[in-house]
Amino acid sequence: MRPSLSGWVRPIARIAALLTVFLNLRTGLAPAETQCAPPDQMKAQLADKPSAAAYNDLGVWFAGQKQYACAADAFATSLQMEPRQKDLPHIAFMFGVALDFSGDQKEAIGALQEAEQLGYRAINLHVILATALDSAHETKQAENEWRAALEFDPELSSGLDALSNDLLADGDFKGVIAALEQPRLLGQRTPQQSLNLAAAYAGVGNEEKAAGVLRDGLNTSPDSLTLANKLADSLVQLKRPDEALTVLQLAHEQHPDDAQTSTHLATVLALPGSGK
Amino acid sequence: MSPDFQPELRAKLKVLAFFTLVASAAFIAGFATLQIRSFGLHGLIPPVYAAQDAPRILSPISIDYPEDGSIFPPGITPPTFLWRDAAGTSWSIDVKFADKSPAIHAVSRGERMHLGAIDPDCVADSNSPPQLTLQQAATWTWVPDAATWAAIQSHSVAGAATMVITGYREGHVAYSQSRVLFTTSKDPVGAPIFYRDVPLMPSAGVNGVVSPLAPTAIHLIHWRLRDITKPESHTVLKDMPTCGNCHSFSGDGKTFGMDIDGPANDKGLYAVVPVQKHMTVQSKDMIHWNPAGQIGTTRVGFMSQVSPDGRYVLSTFAGPSLKLLDSYYVTNFLDYRFLQVFYPTRGILAWYDRTTGLRTPLPGADDSKYVQTDGVWSPDGKYIVFARAEARDPRPPGQVRALHALDENETQIQYDLYRIPFNNGKGGVAEPIVGASGNGMSNNFPKISPDGRWLVFVQCKNGQLMRPDSQLYIIPAQGGVARRLRANTRLMNSWHSFSPNGRWLVFSSKARSPYTQMYLTHIDENGNDSPAILIDNATAANRAVNIPEFVNIPGDGIEDIQVHVADEPTVADAHK
Repeated sequence: MRPSLSGWVRPIARIAALLTVFLNLRTGLAPAETQCAPPDQMKAQLADKPSAAAYNDLGVWFAGQKQYACAADAFATSLQMEPRQKDLPHIAFMFGVALDFSGDQKEAIGALQEAEQLGYRAINLHVILATALDSAHETKQAENEWRAALEFDPELSSGLDALSNDLLADGDFKGVIAALEQPRLLGQRTPQQSLNLAAAYAGVGNEEKAAGVLRDGLNTSPDSLTLANKLADSLVQLKRPDEALTVLQLAHEQHPDDAQTSTHLATVLALPGSGK
Repeated sequence: MSPDFQPELRAKLKVLAFFTLVASAAFIAGFATLQIRSFGLHGLIPPVYAAQDAPRILSPISIDYPEDGSIFPPGITPPTFLWRDAAGTSWSIDVKFADKSPAIHAVSRGERMHLGAIDPDCVADSNSPPQLTLQQAATWTWVPDAATWAAIQSHSVAGAATMVITGYREGHVAYSQSRVLFTTSKDPVGAPIFYRDVPLMPSAGVNGVVSPLAPTAIHLIHWRLRDITKPESHTVLKDMPTCGNCHSFSGDGKTFGMDIDGPANDKGLYAVVPVQKHMTVQSKDMIHWNPAGQIGTTRVGFMSQVSPDGRYVLSTFAGPSLKLLDSYYVTNFLDYRFLQVFYPTRGILAWYDRTTGLRTPLPGADDSKYVQTDGVWSPDGKYIVFARAEARDPRPPGQVRALHALDENETQIQYDLYRIPFNNGKGGVAEPIVGASGNGMSNNFPKISPDGRWLVFVQCKNGQLMRPDSQLYIIPAQGGVARRLRANTRLMNSWHSFSPNGRWLVFSSKARSPYTQMYLTHIDENGNDSPAILIDNATAANRAVNIPEFVNIPGDGIEDIQVHVADEPTVADAHK
């Protein structure tokens, strides 16, 4: 059950008001007349009969023109004019997206969170909000948003990549394993997911499993030098330098100019029992 | 890539080749080593020496299909072996046999996995063409020719065949290797599979209401019969003017029943006809579940099951005075992968007697405090297993609409499996089945093995049907410890059916594609099953197969089914 709208109307209106001031300041107090020039028909309509709906239309138009600051300004004005408008959750979302796209990430996060609290439900909301939260290094909150996005689409690769990145950054190895080992529509683990899952298995002390994940990942993505080098590391950890050598020799053969692999190969060659 | 059927000659050649190779290698290696020591000219290492310098450890190949321990049914068409290998660019495939018969050797230069043909009629804005995943795009394949596969099958019955795949670079330097063991069962599947073949084309109507399939596309639904020894399925029914739903066959394979939506989308029709080579369903074959509204005001005949002897039909009906929307939680989505959530929240079991034309509630499974559904007959017709949960409003006031499968806003319901005697229609006391009840999960869609010993059912978090998290479990039919089937795939395991001999189970899964496919697993006398075997080529790559059911008839036992339903069907009243 979502909270009632009334409790959230005031905050979104306040944000909108503050943003209107901010955006107007930034664009020289008269964005609509200078940088933010609406088409004549809309301008006339706004002059003749200004309404929240008209400003919403204007916001959509600016967004279509990729003038996101102008779009945010229009949505902010709409929200100020009519803080209890019918489609408030959606407008709050549009406002947040426009802010995000215009580069005001901090304010965008606030607006998108408000949209979420108002009951707006769509995968895009969670993806945009999670991305913004990741950029702001709010990983815990970002994790929740990625999880919400994955509820909509469990196959969302970018979501699984990012969620596992965040969980790994938090040292939540079990969380990474749970996220990446869940039933999936199809086997399509990205190299990043293989790396993260292997790191998580290594983190919980299961280096054998980590090597297996990396091996499987490398068999899917043979050109990934990162996977090859990590697999070699894992095999060395398992005291199987012979196997590590095999992996690195092949990687070196395929990418003779890669300095890191060459160095790695030389290091493993120097290990006792590497079969050199 | 043909098998080697001349073992003696091959053995002699191998000995000769071995000595030649050893002699050559010794000479060349000595020379090469001398060269390197003398001049340090690594670049002059000849290819043959490279073979000697090949890695001592072979990298493991990921063999994706078949899984280790797989059991193939005898006579199944050649499977497509699948593997991924970061090292090899060509591969040898060696199949060795426990019965000491000569190994089979084949060479594969590698062919990538590819998708089958699509049905252009099933392309829609609301679906996506099937695509290879990252993993599938990296997959190599080998399909043995028919003679090779027959040889492999014939020598892998008594003991497992070991298939070794070795990856080579430059044609001769071994870099990678893995092996997989599989057997061929002595148990034939022995019967064809009848299934529904559907487009996944959810459609938003003018009012925004999503339906699983637009009325204009209903004719694209096909019913097909598959003999697994044949490379293709046979379409027995298509271009139906109305929607057909759950079907069932009597255990003896002589009677066929199917829920049919009437021409005016009446949900109240059920067809029962004898199984024949050429079948015809006419208005006279229709049962109208609800001519008087005594038991349910709408069909809600759900998962109807013809009794083993074909005399009765068991089904779920809404309670008195209930409408469809008061009894079922239904939500459709535009995501074609899981486009519908559908399960009853109210209903009773009732049985229809074809000899009397009467429909009667089954005492013990007719309590309106519960929803009672998914009823199936024991092979002897003496008892019924069904799913039960406390009845509830499918859409409580204020409920937020679910936007996707497994959305927490779905109406929550967890079914338990119960068993009740049929007792010539008098019913009895319903008893919960240990291992399939009271576990906090939704236990549903039971099927009893033909020998009456086992019960396979679906377990998922919520509801039933087309659940992404659905897994198959097996327990003794009387109840016991539930065991998760090994055959379960990563995504959706449902719609299962035992073969008439009880040794095979067919089920549907989305493991490889959002477009559902059919799989087989072997069930031994102790209820142990084996990894899933794909039934290849059951439909186009952009169509889904569901509701597979074994039919106790020969592989070509049904040629076609004609459905002629008039606008005003002449119905057999089905009320008491």
